[in-house]
Amino acid sequence: MGLLDRLSVLLGLKKKEVHVLCLGLDNSGKTTIINKLKPSNAQSQNILPTIGFSIEKFKSSSLSFTVFDMSGQGRYRNLWEHYYKEGQAIIFVVDSSDRLRMVVAKEELDTLLNHPDIKHRRIPILFFANKMDLRDAVTSVKVSQLLCLENIKDKPWHICASDAIKGEGLQEGVDWLQENNDSKQDIGRVIFGESDQPKSKDLKVLILEIPRKWLGQMY
Amino acid sequence: MAAASSSDYDGCGAESNEANSKWLDAHYDPMANVHTFSACLALADLHGDGEYKLVVGDLGPGGQQPRLKVLKGPLVMTESPLPALPAAAATFLMEQHEPRTPALALASGPCVYVYKNLRPYFKFSLPQLPPNPLEQDLWNQAKEDRIDPLTLKEMLESIRETAEEPLSVQSLRFLQLELSEMEAFVNQHKSNSIKRQTVITTMTTLKKNLADEDAVSCLVLGTENKELLVLDPEAFTILAKMSLPSVPVFLEVSGQFDVEFRLAAACRNGNIYILRRDSKHPKYCIELSAQPVGLIRVHKVLVVGSTQDSLHGFTHKGKKLWTVQMPAAILTMNLLEQHSRGLQAVMAGLANGEVRIYRDKALLNVIHTPDAVTSLCFGRYGREDNTLIMTTRGGGLIIKILKRTAVFVEGGSEVGPPPAQAMKLNVPRKTRLYVDQTLREREAGTAMHRAFQTDLYLLRLRAARAYLQALESSLSPVSATAREPLKLHAVVQGLGPTFKLTLHLQNTSTARPVLGLLVCCLYNEALYSLPRAFFKVPLLVPGLNYPLETFVESLSNKGISDIIKVLVLREGQSAPLLSAHVNMPGSEGLAAA
Repeated sequence: MGLLDRLSVLLGLKKKEVHVLCLGLDNSGKTTIINKLKPSNAQSQNILPTIGFSIEKFKSSSLSFTVFDMSGQGRYRNLWEHYYKEGQAIIFVVDSSDRLRMVVAKEELDTLLNHPDIKHRRIPILFFANKMDLRDAVTSVKVSQLLCLENIKDKPWHICASDAIKGEGLQEGVDWLQENNDSKQDIGRVIFGESDQPKSKDLKVLILEIPRKWLGQMY
Repeated sequence: MAAASSSDYDGCGAESNEANSKWLDAHYDPMANVHTFSACLALADLHGDGEYKLVVGDLGPGGQQPRLKVLKGPLVMTESPLPALPAAAATFLMEQHEPRTPALALASGPCVYVYKNLRPYFKFSLPQLPPNPLEQDLWNQAKEDRIDPLTLKEMLESIRETAEEPLSVQSLRFLQLELSEMEAFVNQHKSNSIKRQTVITTMTTLKKNLADEDAVSCLVLGTENKELLVLDPEAFTILAKMSLPSVPVFLEVSGQFDVEFRLAAACRNGNIYILRRDSKHPKYCIELSAQPVGLIRVHKVLVVGSTQDSLHGFTHKGKKLWTVQMPAAILTMNLLEQHSRGLQAVMAGLANGEVRIYRDKALLNVIHTPDAVTSLCFGRYGREDNTLIMTTRGGGLIIKILKRTAVFVEGGSEVGPPPAQAMKLNVPRKTRLYVDQTLREREAGTAMHRAFQTDLYLLRLRAARAYLQALESSLSPVSATAREPLKLHAVVQGLGPTFKLTLHLQNTSTARPVLGLLVCCLYNEALYSLPRAFFKVPLLVPGLNYPLETFVESLSNKGISDIIKVLVLREGQSAPLLSAHVNMPGSEGLAAA
């Protein structure tokens, strides 16, 4: 990131860029969710199973998201870990009507959380309990029980019930992601590029950017 | 919340216990009420939407209500009654046209019911067998009233005994009837033409001309009249007919029908017959020492499970390669095929609730299940490639998913000698007393020997004297003489004052009955009274035990007990043959109290 970019971010002309990994089993609705988050003129009409992965971009009120939409098919799931380093946030999509494969989703989530690239970073994870419109869908509370989400202690997480075809529940999730992405580490990473530890003198500049409600937590 | 989640979802708790397990517990329902076996399970993408369904030919809880169940995920999606108990279920592609939804074939009785999109589509019936011309002739005569039912019955019975072709169902039913029912039966059925039909015992699929996953397949049927039929997938005509020496129960095919194929059929006579293209009769035969319980082909090896709790591996030419012994009886077998890793292994459900997975001789994995597994199926289910579906003896349904990262290796701890070998032998310790004794023996050995020999002489003398005395007075309860082999023993039952005295008398000769014996009881008449102290013994047939009962009443009111002597005598001789002394117990009657 050049100096000009940094300045434009500070002045609010250009939105901050956040890299998000969109993970989940095949047929859980990852691509549909990403597609629905894009502006209506950029949305594609028919969605096919993702092969390998694709990179999508969308914007929220204050952030610009770059999403790695990964394929969830069994044979592509070993690609996931190659992108863990880039991820500053994770969207994990669960098909809440597929009760049988909830254990598989839990297994994949556990391997994700125990991966060395993820384990010690405090990156936010947003869960979508998708396909809420289906008759045999379980509630988001139940999904969080089945995935044992209460065991995630060191990362901020949030679960939203969603219906990706209608777009219900997606905005709530993105709003949460936006709020939680303003954490200290990630802002440092965005603004200062490569260095993970922001220098204390520069932090003063940062405070301007941080929402008021976070002030108490940071200092 | 944690407690709620673990109690609510069984998979969560079991998985954390077995963290290093290769399987994820997706579903366990002990009340699923699925009663079936491996041949009646099939997995297929029935609606063409990429979601694989499980087809179950369910026998019903008592084998009473056969039903076709289709499971989607953990739940039954559709259920429909079947006309008869299913023998096998298979899914196959009938034609090349899109959409490529497979047809479901269910063999039941003499018919194959073909479903497409879960709707009845076609019913194939086995061709009828030619009836015996003699039998046909008899029924024709009955039709013209030229023969009465009794003669018909006799004639049919003679056909049944002599002719090699079995009778029709109608004739067999007729032969079972009572005389009174025959007339009505003949009148009712004489106009019907007699049919002889057979029943399908097993069914499998064979690729027609392509080895692809989505190629058209033929059905291969094994029938009760020892034949194998290959059906055309579209027209349901018979493409090939092969005959076997016995009734096939398990079938395994490889290859393609139009090119070259091998058919292995495990039969009820405990043999496996291997047929090839263009051979109407078996080319090779494998003789097993016990009945087969499952037949699976793994690459080029035929794996057979036998009732002697073992798995055998054979080549396609019938050469035995290996044998593995199982710890319990094999209930079911199926193939585990993991496409992503190119693994083919045999699963065996055992009676002790284990499911063992073998690649050749090597044990890869053991799954412990709460109940004995009666049917197994591995494949793509729902959207998951490596799913293992098991049903238990009690009708439960277990679904496990193989982890993406799981690799089967021939691990397992090294099995050494049994732990019992490490136990110390139970050799008694020797104390000081023993050492002192040995010292004494060493010092005074000669005197000890002499004294013991003297005592032994005396002992022999006394024993011989006592024996002679017993022989003279016939005191022993077993007669020693070869002429009168008899055995007697007496039992007293009851608390008194009335006792039941039962004498068990037995003739121990091989083939000579004993006649004219008497029993006499000698007792103190002041103490006991017997209604008959002297009676005749019936003829004693060799080998039988004769209980002879009398009632003894105790007269004494002082609780005195005495001996009653029982003598067995021969008529006309005064010397008893044998005798027994019965020590009467003390009476606990009113007088004693």
